Amino acid sequence: MESLAETPWDVTISGTGLGQSLFALALSRSDKKVLHIDKRPYYGGSEAAFSLQEAQEWADNVNKEPGQSPFEDAEVHSPSDSRLSSSRAYTLSLSPHLIYSRSRLLPTLLSSRVYRQLEFQAVGSWWIFRPSEANSDLYRVPSSREDIFADDFISAKSKRTLMKFLRHIGKPPQETEGQPEEEDLSVPFSEYLGSKFQVPAELHDPLLSLSLSQASAQQTSAEYAVPRIKRHLASIGVFGPGFGSLLAKWGGGAELAQVGCRALAVGGGVYVLNAGIESITNPSNSDNGDDARMQIKLSNGESIRTKFVVGSHWDLPGQAGNDQPSCEKAARSISVVSSSLESLFPITAEGGPLPAAAVVVFPGSCLAQAEDSPPVYLLIHSSETGECPTGQSVVYGSVRLSGPQGYSLVETAVQKLLESVSDAEAKVLWSLRYTQLGRASDVIDGVQALKSSSPTDGTICFPPPSLDHTFDDALLDMVKEAWKTVQGEDAIDEEFMKFEDREGVEDE
Amino acid sequence: MSEPTSTNTPKPSSSVKLVLLGEAAVGKSSLVLRFVNNDFQENKEPTIGAAFLTQKCSLPTRTIKFEIWDTAGQERFASLAPMYYRNAQAALVVYDMTKPSSLTKAKHWVAELQRQASPGIVIALVGNKLDLTNEGSNEAAGESTPAEGGEDEATNDENQAEEATPGDARKVSTQEANAYAEEENLLFFETSAKTGVNVAEVFTAIANAIPESSLKTGRGAGTGQATLGGGRPAEDTRVNLGERAAATPKEGCAC
Repeated sequence: MESLAETPWDVTISGTGLGQSLFALALSRSDKKVLHIDKRPYYGGSEAAFSLQEAQEWADNVNKEPGQSPFEDAEVHSPSDSRLSSSRAYTLSLSPHLIYSRSRLLPTLLSSRVYRQLEFQAVGSWWIFRPSEANSDLYRVPSSREDIFADDFISAKSKRTLMKFLRHIGKPPQETEGQPEEEDLSVPFSEYLGSKFQVPAELHDPLLSLSLSQASAQQTSAEYAVPRIKRHLASIGVFGPGFGSLLAKWGGGAELAQVGCRALAVGGGVYVLNAGIESITNPSNSDNGDDARMQIKLSNGESIRTKFVVGSHWDLPGQAGNDQPSCEKAARSISVVSSSLESLFPITAEGGPLPAAAVVVFPGSCLAQAEDSPPVYLLIHSSETGECPTGQSVVYGSVRLSGPQGYSLVETAVQKLLESVSDAEAKVLWSLRYTQLGRASDVIDGVQALKSSSPTDGTICFPPPSLDHTFDDALLDMVKEAWKTVQGEDAIDEEFMKFEDREGVEDE
Repeated sequence: MSEPTSTNTPKPSSSVKLVLLGEAAVGKSSLVLRFVNNDFQENKEPTIGAAFLTQKCSLPTRTIKFEIWDTAGQERFASLAPMYYRNAQAALVVYDMTKPSSLTKAKHWVAELQRQASPGIVIALVGNKLDLTNEGSNEAAGESTPAEGGEDEATNDENQAEEATPGDARKVSTQEANAYAEEENLLFFETSAKTGVNVAEVFTAIANAIPESSLKTGRGAGTGQATLGGGRPAEDTRVNLGERAAATPKEGCAC
C-alpha cells in the first residue's frame, strides 16, 4: 500500500461528523482518491455517540481543549447507583434529533442504498408540561385532525378555532395565491393565532411545540412556525399510521455518520483516526496547473498533498479568514433514567409501530420563568433505541439559553418529568451536561452558507451544525454543493447520491 | 407469542450484524464468498476498503439474515474496525493456520473486541486454509474436524507429526488455537474456504449462539415482510422505510 505522503489525493475530508460523512457517502462511488481523517479516536465528530466511559473522556477533552470543538463546559454527574449498567451498555448520542418523514434525507438514504444498513423507529407523541389539578401534568398534544376530535381537554369552541387554523395551513399553496391579500407572517406566532383564528392562549404552546421552535410563542414569528407545523402535519402517515418523524436506531446522527463513512470505505476511501490537520499550505502560483495540490501537515507527523480539503471550522485550523464563526449556544444534557417511562410511548394509531421516542416540552412559564422565556425540550428515547438497557430510558434535554441558568432549567424540567410519571422509583442514574455551539435553525440557504464559510477554492468548510431538534435539510444542500465543487465538470445534478446496490447485497 | 407456528406462517426473521476481522490474506473475503455464493476464487484480489454482503441462514425456529462487513486486513491505520464493530452482534476473527503470526494478530483483534464492542458480542475464532494441511488434502476420507468444544484425539496425533509430514503446511495446531478459544469463550472452527469444509457450520453456529433476547430487543423483532400485510406485532418498533417509500419515491407527491 502506498504511503499517505506518496498518494496524490484528490480530496481530503477532515472530521467524521454528519456533514463530512454524508459528503463521504456522496463520493463513495466516484473515482476520486479520498483520504478521510479525524483528529479524534472515534467516528461521528460533533454527532458522535458514546459509552459512559467514552462520554466521560469526551467531557474531559471538551474542557481541556477549549475552542477545539463546538462544545463547552461539559460535566458528568454520576451518583453511585447500582442500577446503572456497565459502560458499554449505553450508546449516548450527541445528535438525538428526529427526522421528519418529509425530510429530503430519507429519499437520499434510499437512492444511495445505505438505508439497508439503518433501522428506523417512530417518534410517537408530543407532550406538553402543564401543571394542573387533573391526574397528570403531561398533556398529549393533538397532532392530527383525528387527535383533535378525540381530545377531551379542548372545548368544542376551541376545537373549531383549531380546525380552522389547521384547514388554513393545510391548503395547497396555489389556492392561497389567488387570495387578494398577502398573509402577514412577520407577526409573533401568538398574535397570529389569537387575532387571525381566535385560537385561545392555552393552545398556543401546544401548537408551537409542533414547530419545535426553541423560543416562546411571543418570540417566534409566524413565518418560522407556520411552515414547520405544516411539515409536522404533512409528515404524519408517510411511513405508517400515527407518526410523522423517525429516529435512526443506535444513536441517531452518530449512526448516520458511520453509515456514510462505511460506504466510502467500501468504495476504497482510506480512513485514519487520530490524525488531524496541523497546517495547510496552498500551492504556489508557479505550479498552478491541473495537478496543483495543497500541502497538509497532519498531527500524526505525516505530510500529504491534496486538491481539495473539506471539513468544518474545528477540523481546518490555520485557515486565513476562518475565524470562529458566529454561533448561538444551547444548554444541553443527557440523562440516563432508571425507568422505562413507558407511559410516554403509547401506540398513536391502530396498526402503527411502537414508538421509540417522544418529545416533551416545558414552556418557560411552567418553569417559573417569564412568559416569553424559551421552552425546554426533552427528547426521550426508550431502550428500544438500543441506547440503554431495558427498563431504563435516555432523556436528552435542551434549552436555547447558555450558562448556569440554562443548565438549571433543563435539570428542573427533567426532575418535573420524573415526578409526573407514575413511577416512584424513577431517578437520574447518570447525567452529562454541556453547552453546544451552533447555527440558528432559521438559516436555510445551505448553498450560500457553505460558500460564505469556505475561504479559498480548494478549501470547503461546512458551517457550524444546526441547533435544531430535527435533521436540518440545509445540510444536504451543503453536501451537494461541496460535491459539485469537487466533481467540477463531472457533476451531474441528477446523479447526486444515486447509486446501484453493490454486488452481494440481495434484494428482497 | 401464543400464536401457533403453523407451516404457512413464515419463520420470524432477524438481522444480525457480523464483522470479519483478521490479518491480510488469511482468507476473510474467501470465507464470505464461499458462504454467500458457494464459490471460491484462486488468487483473489485483496479487498480495498471493506465490503458489505448479506446472506440468510435458516434455523429450525427462525431465519437469520447476516449483514456481513468484510474489512480490509491490510489497512495500516487500524481505523476501519471501530467503524464496523459498533453494534455488531457477531464477529468472525480469522487466522491462517499455516502462518503463526496471523493467530497473534487474531488474538489482538479478540482483545480489542472484548474491550470495545457490545458486551454481548458472539466471537468465532476461525483457522482457515485447512486444505493446505494433511487433514484438508484427504478431506474426502475424513469428515473433517469441527474442532468446537471437544478435542479430537486423532487430530492431535496428526498435529504432533506435522513437521515430518511432507505437504503439510500447518503451523498452528488445533490444540493450541482451541485452548485459546476455550479460555476466551470463543466459538472455534477450522475451515477451508477453498473446499468449503466447515464454512456453513461457522455461520450456523454463530446464528445459534446469538441470544434470543438480543435478537428481539437487539435488532427489533425484524418481521420485515409482515409489515406490508399489516400483521405487525404490537411490540415491533421497526419502521420500514424501503418498501413504502420505494413505491412513492417522489417526495411530497400525494397522488
